Amino acid sequence: MKKHKVMTISLFVIFLILTALNFQSYAASITLRVLSTTIVEKPEGNVERQIAEEFMQKNPDIKIEFIGVPMNNVYAKITTLATGGDMPDIFTNVPQFVAQAADLGIVEDLDELLGPDFIKGFYPNAIREASLNGKLQFIPWFSTPLALLYRGDWFKAEGLAAPQTWDDFVAVAKKLTKDVNNDGKVDRWGFAMLGARNDSAMSRYNCILKTFGAYELRRDTSGNWVTDVDSPKGINALRFFTDLYLKDHVVPPGPTEVSYAEALELMALEKTGMMITGPHSIGGILARNPKLAGKIYSVPVPKKEKHVSFLGVYGFSISKTSKHKDAAVKYLKYLISKENLLEWNRVTGRMPCRIDAGKEPQISGPVYAGFVKAMDYAEAVPNVAFYPEIIDIEGEAVQAVLTGQATPEQAAKKAGEKIRAAIRRAQ
Amino acid sequence: MGERLRTANRRELGGYLFIFPAFLVMLMLVIYPLIYGGYISLFNTNLMARWNLVGLKYYLRILTDSVFWSKIRITISFTFWTVLGHFILGMVLALMLNVKIPGRAVFRAILLTPWLFPEVVVALVWKWLYNPMYGLINHFLVQLHVIAAPISWLGSPSAALPAVIIAAIWKGYPLIMVMLLAGLQAIPQELYEAAQIDGASPIQAFRYITLPGLRYVLVVSLILDTVWWFKHFTIIWVLTQGGPVDATNVISIDIYKTAFEYFRFGEAASMAVIVFFICFLFGYGYRRMLGDEGN
Repeated sequence: MKKHKVMTISLFVIFLILTALNFQSYAASITLRVLSTTIVEKPEGNVERQIAEEFMQKNPDIKIEFIGVPMNNVYAKITTLATGGDMPDIFTNVPQFVAQAADLGIVEDLDELLGPDFIKGFYPNAIREASLNGKLQFIPWFSTPLALLYRGDWFKAEGLAAPQTWDDFVAVAKKLTKDVNNDGKVDRWGFAMLGARNDSAMSRYNCILKTFGAYELRRDTSGNWVTDVDSPKGINALRFFTDLYLKDHVVPPGPTEVSYAEALELMALEKTGMMITGPHSIGGILARNPKLAGKIYSVPVPKKEKHVSFLGVYGFSISKTSKHKDAAVKYLKYLISKENLLEWNRVTGRMPCRIDAGKEPQISGPVYAGFVKAMDYAEAVPNVAFYPEIIDIEGEAVQAVLTGQATPEQAAKKAGEKIRAAIRRAQ
Repeated sequence: MGERLRTANRRELGGYLFIFPAFLVMLMLVIYPLIYGGYISLFNTNLMARWNLVGLKYYLRILTDSVFWSKIRITISFTFWTVLGHFILGMVLALMLNVKIPGRAVFRAILLTPWLFPEVVVALVWKWLYNPMYGLINHFLVQLHVIAAPISWLGSPSAALPAVIIAAIWKGYPLIMVMLLAGLQAIPQELYEAAQIDGASPIQAFRYITLPGLRYVLVVSLILDTVWWFKHFTIIWVLTQGGPVDATNVISIDIYKTAFEYFRFGEAASMAVIVFFICFLFGYGYRRMLGDEGN
């Protein structure tokens, strides 16, 4: 009898253990590893984490595990993970990296996974930027169209209108540059120039280049890649840009040291009045200096020949090697649901890529007016694998002129030769 | 005879067995990456889907490229001044710490501090110090009327390399200081006492006792420090990213960009192999010049 009792209790304990184990494995049977750059930013990371938490509550069988990587290191990190055979299920992707990621063979074709009806819900230009050879490479999450951010309160105080052309821009930049504390030294400047040799700075310069009618890389009528950086228009753009510092003196000292973070700091510390950037910068500036709420406006990037903007689409790809593609799609669809996109925009200023969210009044309000308008002028980033090299060559040319090592003609000529060599090497 | 041979063989086998774990670790962490790096350098590859054999093409291109050699020149200049700074500062501080002064342990701890900071932190601290808008260096120099207006130290082609070298000297001198201090403490005091009796001046004592006594420590430190800073990446990358233009573009930055920005891994690997041989030559040259006397 006693033996029977012991056996029953043992069986019951085993049953309990097995049930618990089974429950535990059910509770988080899938772990999705998500490589994200926004997760390490503030306030972006908080919202993204919050959305993931809500998703996990609604889907207890899926666990989201973030791998945070700063945007500047993300290409190297993804390449390292890919070569090490340790790709996460979901990873950050942007138009500048699309060709590389495809070359590495790490991207799952999303057309089938998402279906045509769902894809129709995105803005067509966002889908164009996220595709390569007609295949969707990443799910567009948000866009950060480039526009000119400016201090509306300073403009009002000086009786200035938002600049439409580069001549207007120089005039207002000179007005904004002044000695505010009357100590005989200039302590406020018109323009936060990004002169660092990196992708973030040069994408802004390329926007200016294009407003002059020159392209860092474009296809000619025969379909071959060519560059205009050393054309008269390209040289004019380079001269105009560098003269802002060298001749017009509307830029703070040390522009070659200024990357995105430093430029944001200049705006937040009220040292500069204008900056070419995306809507996300509003969140960044306000996070550093909340007193500026309601004082920052936007307008499309001024023109020489035409207005130009980049959409700055950002999204997530699903890894070819992921074992949980359906769960990944489920999470990403939740991430880009209308409610989450609006909350994301409210906190970070980043614009939704879904049409239903984009139509909401929250997006078309006065703060974002310039960005919304700028989307009409958006041009695509060339999606070629050697594009990062082009960016680096342009950075070298800009810095050579800014530091007085070359004239715009010399720097542009050298950059043109190097870009053509890069094109030849890639063929 | 046969028994003795068997015992000797057993002993030999035991020896091999004892060194096997260390050999395995060396194989995995040193030899395999070296060989794999050399292998990659023969391909046009993205390390995943594309593996096109190009043979020695990259080596030929790099070795005949004047841009590569200009970057090697910048690297040598950076390494030379950094190592020289380490040895001058390290030696002066080691000599001071070798004297019995009150609070010596506290001074040692304080002077070791730069070595304890991660390189990224050191670079960020110096970046802030050099900042043309808010940097302390500009602030003090303007206050002292040494300069009329703030200077963009890291944005000036002539000032960027010295600025980076100063940060690198600050970061690296403690290692040399500690090694030289250990070497100084190993020199017998009797030699100095004998020199004093013979009427040697402090400079003569330094020249004829201290320097020869530190010879082996100097050789080892010099090789380690030179190779370490020749390959250095972090501080320069954080401070200048190799700029402005190419003013601080040392070879490690070029290798990083070629591999992880341009995704030309084969070419980057060839550059790395060449740098390996240059570092090897440094070590060999130092040993020949300073003499290793069988060590």
